Amino acid sequence: MRSEISALMDGELDRQEAAGPLEALRGEGEAREAWRAYHLIGDVMGDTRLLSAGFAARVAVRLSAEPTVIAPRAAAAPARRLRWAALSAAASVAAVALVAWMAFSPQGGVAPQQVAVQMAAPAPLAEAEPARVPPPETATEYLLAHQSYSPLNSLQGMAPYVRTVSSEEEARKQ
Amino acid sequence: MIRALVVVPALWGGLVLAQPHAAPAGAPAGAASSAPADGMTLLRRIYQATEKLSYTGTFVYQQGDRAETSRILRQAGPKGGVERVEVLDGAPREIVRTRDTVRCYLPDSHVVRVERRGTQHAFPALLPERLSELEQSYTITRGDSTRIAGYDCDSVVLAPKDDLRYGYKLWSDRKSGMLLKARTFNRKGETVEQFVFTQLSIGSVPRRQVEARPRAGNWRIEDAAVAPADLAGEGWTVGAALPGFHKVTEVTRRLGASHPVGQVVYSDGIAAVSVFIEPLAGRAHTVRPGLSTLGAFNIYTRRVADHVVTVVGETPAASVQRIGNTVEYRRPQ
Repeated sequence: MRSEISALMDGELDRQEAAGPLEALRGEGEAREAWRAYHLIGDVMGDTRLLSAGFAARVAVRLSAEPTVIAPRAAAAPARRLRWAALSAAASVAAVALVAWMAFSPQGGVAPQQVAVQMAAPAPLAEAEPARVPPPETATEYLLAHQSYSPLNSLQGMAPYVRTVSSEEEARKQ
Repeated sequence: MIRALVVVPALWGGLVLAQPHAAPAGAPAGAASSAPADGMTLLRRIYQATEKLSYTGTFVYQQGDRAETSRILRQAGPKGGVERVEVLDGAPREIVRTRDTVRCYLPDSHVVRVERRGTQHAFPALLPERLSELEQSYTITRGDSTRIAGYDCDSVVLAPKDDLRYGYKLWSDRKSGMLLKARTFNRKGETVEQFVFTQLSIGSVPRRQVEARPRAGNWRIEDAAVAPADLAGEGWTVGAALPGFHKVTEVTRRLGASHPVGQVVYSDGIAAVSVFIEPLAGRAHTVRPGLSTLGAFNIYTRRVADHVVTVVGETPAASVQRIGNTVEYRRPQ
C-alpha cells in the first residue's frame, strides 16, 4: 500500500488505479500514516531553510494574537469551516516552522515515524481550539459510567449522580 | 519539541489566571469554643460525615440557568449503607446505591442501568489518608461561615493551582460535618455547578424508605458488567500527561447495550477524568470528533486506529483534551 500511496502522490495513478488507495486513506490506518509521512518528508526536503532564530516562538505569538472566531453552537459544521479558513494561513506557517524545527534540531535524528505520529491529528491546533460538536448520543451512559469512579462521591454522597440523569434531557435538546 | 509549541498558549492562559480564588480568610473568631478548624480538618470531617451519617433531605442542583430539586435519603450501615436519590422535577428519575451496586431507573425509556462489582472492585472512595495529596493540586484554606437550611456552617475552599481543574467551595454543618452546600467554580471564579440543601434531617431513616419502590411493567436491565482490564496489553497507551492526575482504575464495561468498552479513570483526588475506548465497527451512532459540553462535564471525542476515544471529565476542556490527545495505539508484538 505504501508504494501505491507514493505513486498516488506523484500523480502516477489513473482514476481507476487511484480508487483503491483513496479508499484506504479514508481510514486511520497504514495508508494514511504513509500519506502524512511522505508529505512531511516532502515538506522537509522542500526549500524551508531560511528561517531565523526564534521563528517558531514568533509564530506562536502571532497565533495567539489571532482573534478567536466564536461561532454559535447550532451552526457547528459551517462555523468550523470558517474558523479553519481563518486560521489556515497562520496554521500553515506553523506547520512549516514545526517541520523546519525538527529537520534542523540538534538531535537531527527524529524518526519519521515519530514525526508522523505527532502530526497524525492536527494536535497542536486542536489543543488550542477543537471543533465544537453536540454531545455524543450515548453521553449520559458515559457520564453514569464515569460518575461511579468520581472521588466527589466520598464528599457529596449520591448527590453528584443527579448530574448524570439530569443531563439526559439536556443532551436530547442539543 | 512539539510539546513546547503546544504548551505556550496554555502557559499564557495560566498567567492570566493569577490567583483570583484567595478565600476570604479568617472566619469569625471566637464563635466556636476553641480555635476554628483549618481547611484540611473541615475536609476530613466532611468525609467522615458522608460515611457515617443517616439523613433525609431535599437539595437543589444548579447548573447554568437550570435548577433541579431532588430528594435524598441515606441509611448508614456496617456494609456501607443504602442511599437513594430521586429527581423531583421533570421525569421521575431515581438512583439507588448500595456498597457495590448502583441502579439508575429511567422511566422515560423503561431502562434500569446497573453497575455492579465484586467487593475487591468496590467503588473507590477518597481515602482520608489521601486527602493530604489534594494539597499538590489545590490550595486548601478555610472560608467564611454562614447559615444554610438552618445549620451553622463553616466552609473550606480548594483553589486550583493550575487551569487543569476547577475549584471547590464546600460548606459543612459545624456540629456533624455534614455537607450542606458545594460550589464548583472555574478560573474566573464563575460557578460551574452547585448543590445546596434546602432541607435536611440528620438521623435514622426506615430502610424501606431508602429502597427503590417496586415498579410495574417491563424494565429493560442494562448491566455494565464491569471487569478488570489491561488496555496496555492490547496496544493502547494513555499518557498520564496531566500534572497531579494519577490512574485510579482500568476496566472493561458495557455502555447501554453496546460491545465491551475500555475505561481508564484518572483523578487528582477530587476531580476525575474517564477515557473510554471502543471499536468503531458496529457502532449505531455517528462519531463527531471534537469537544462538547454537557452541564459541568466536558467531553472530547477522537478517532484513533479504527476506535473511538471519548474522554469525559468534570474538569475544564483543556484537561479532557490533553488526556485525549495522548491516546495512541500500537499493534502488540
